[in-house]
Amino acid sequence: MNSETESEKKSPLILVADDDRDLVFALSLRLRSMGYRVIEATDGEDAFQKTKEYKPDLVILDVRMPSGGGFSSLERMKHSLYTRTIPVIFLTAFEDEEMREEARLMGAKGFFRKPFDDEEFMSAIENLVGSPR
Amino acid sequence: MRSYKVCYLGHDREVVLALERALSGTNMKFMSAFPDGEGVNQALEFGVDIILWDKDNTPLDEPVPIERIRKMGFASQPIMVVVSEGDSESAIKSLAAGASDFIYKPIKANPLPRIIAGLNVGQHQKRVGYYVRMLEEANEGIKTILASLKDPAYIVSPEYQILYMNPAAEEIFGEGLRGGACYQVFYDRIEPCDVCRKGSGSARWRSVLKNGKTYRFISVMVKNPRGEIQKLAVGVDVTPGEEVKKIHQTFISNVSHDLRTPLAAIDQYVSILRDGLGGELSEEQVKYLDIIRKNSFRLRNLIENLIDANNILSGKFKMKMEVMNLKDIVKIVESQLEEQARGKGITFGVQVPDDLPPIYADASRIAQVIANLAGNSIKFTEQGVVQIRAGFMPRDEGRIIVSVEDSGIGIPREDLGKIFDLFYRVESDKVYVEEGAGLGLSISREIVRAHGGTLWVESMEGMGSAFHFALPVYKSKQVASQTPGERQGTGG
Repeated sequence: MNSETESEKKSPLILVADDDRDLVFALSLRLRSMGYRVIEATDGEDAFQKTKEYKPDLVILDVRMPSGGGFSSLERMKHSLYTRTIPVIFLTAFEDEEMREEARLMGAKGFFRKPFDDEEFMSAIENLVGSPR
Repeated sequence: MRSYKVCYLGHDREVVLALERALSGTNMKFMSAFPDGEGVNQALEFGVDIILWDKDNTPLDEPVPIERIRKMGFASQPIMVVVSEGDSESAIKSLAAGASDFIYKPIKANPLPRIIAGLNVGQHQKRVGYYVRMLEEANEGIKTILASLKDPAYIVSPEYQILYMNPAAEEIFGEGLRGGACYQVFYDRIEPCDVCRKGSGSARWRSVLKNGKTYRFISVMVKNPRGEIQKLAVGVDVTPGEEVKKIHQTFISNVSHDLRTPLAAIDQYVSILRDGLGGELSEEQVKYLDIIRKNSFRLRNLIENLIDANNILSGKFKMKMEVMNLKDIVKIVESQLEEQARGKGITFGVQVPDDLPPIYADASRIAQVIANLAGNSIKFTEQGVVQIRAGFMPRDEGRIIVSVEDSGIGIPREDLGKIFDLFYRVESDKVYVEEGAGLGLSISREIVRAHGGTLWVESMEGMGSAFHFALPVYKSKQVASQTPGERQGTGG
């Protein structure tokens, strides 16, 4: 993150939080290759702290993570003046319509079930934060 | 020693005198009376052991009315007919009608030996009567036991006619169904089940009945008091308990979660490599990556099916019910199936009449069932035909029967009862099936059941299979009784 260039800084910043490090690495690599800036987190607490610190343009949260899953992270974000407007996309391996509905009611902007459709996922990101510069 | 009572019913004075003479000096008591109401009453009060009925009591050209005499109150006594000498025709007709013997009049020879022989027949008849009563009582006893069972039991004739249903069976299938064909009433079939048609003696089978529960049946051949062979079938509820189901569902939910997570990572890394983010790839490497992607897609489909099955079995799935024509539903999957069949060089046919009454169904779900059944048929057929047919059956307020028939490898008899079980796969040396987890048929059956229908199979190994499902036709009241456009799946 420290080696980001000036041009990269102008690109939207995305936080990817998932306890599956392989998936986080893959998503980061792909988003970066597209021109986005990415920060990573692997548990709920880390995700919330980094959201507060970096105020990303988008947060991608796994529903089930250690020390607070995606839902609790989003709840904490909604209580903070600095983070409440940041859009959130959920990722989950669970198949649960109620969960999807709860996410929607909490204000999540997207809900993707793993394994997700790549094109759909990337276009949802682009719709929320715009194309990378 | 017991004194036997002999009664002559008739008008012939000479016969009366001859009988009085023959029986005097024996320990038998004798009376005579006219064959009218009063005479009959006297004979009944007398406690008669054997009746001698004069043929002259009945008009010349009529046979002796043995049945009518029995109904007068002489139900079990032997009846001897007294006929004029030479009238052997009347004698034979009387014997054929149930008389135990006859004597000629005028009585010349001593009738005593014939009367004693007749009494002997009477004793035998009484013994038979006793056994019949015992059997009837035993039969009643069996029915009392069957009536107290919480699970269904029924008795059918060798012609598949329902003779008896216990209250539990009536609760499942409805009352007043005696006389109907068991295979239609119980199993929604148009012809007798294989287990009855081919098997003799006792049999075992599993069946999902109209209440959605699974029963294991055992049938035995029994004789009724008249010696007729009947089949008694008794079911035992083997539906998995709620606790087992819950463990099952939680297990599936966890397993599918744990399968999906690594699959998401695999997909991402395939994309990374495919997009050249890991360096330039050779043509061969691209080909291998595509194989990984294809298999990852298959795995994803399998997981989707697993979750689908879980939702259906736990009653979580919702259906979007609409008034639909079957033909339109078949069209959703027709071209895809046609292509699959063409790929294997199999003839594929669809015969759905235009004038079928509409059904109230979730079109995508019923299409899923058809695709599933026909897809299976194509998979297990190497040459020949796969055909989808539909027809209307007016019974039970009308049903649409959809059949998917093939000329494939068929299903071994021992597997027939299990193929609808979750995760069940037929293991066969003759075929290597690389796809499928034994979910499609369970899912299909639950979908059909949630529509108030039934799904069943007929198959012969080496000859082919036919899967049929019956759906109730649309009745306008159906919409009124349900939430508009939505119906909760009933689950298993």
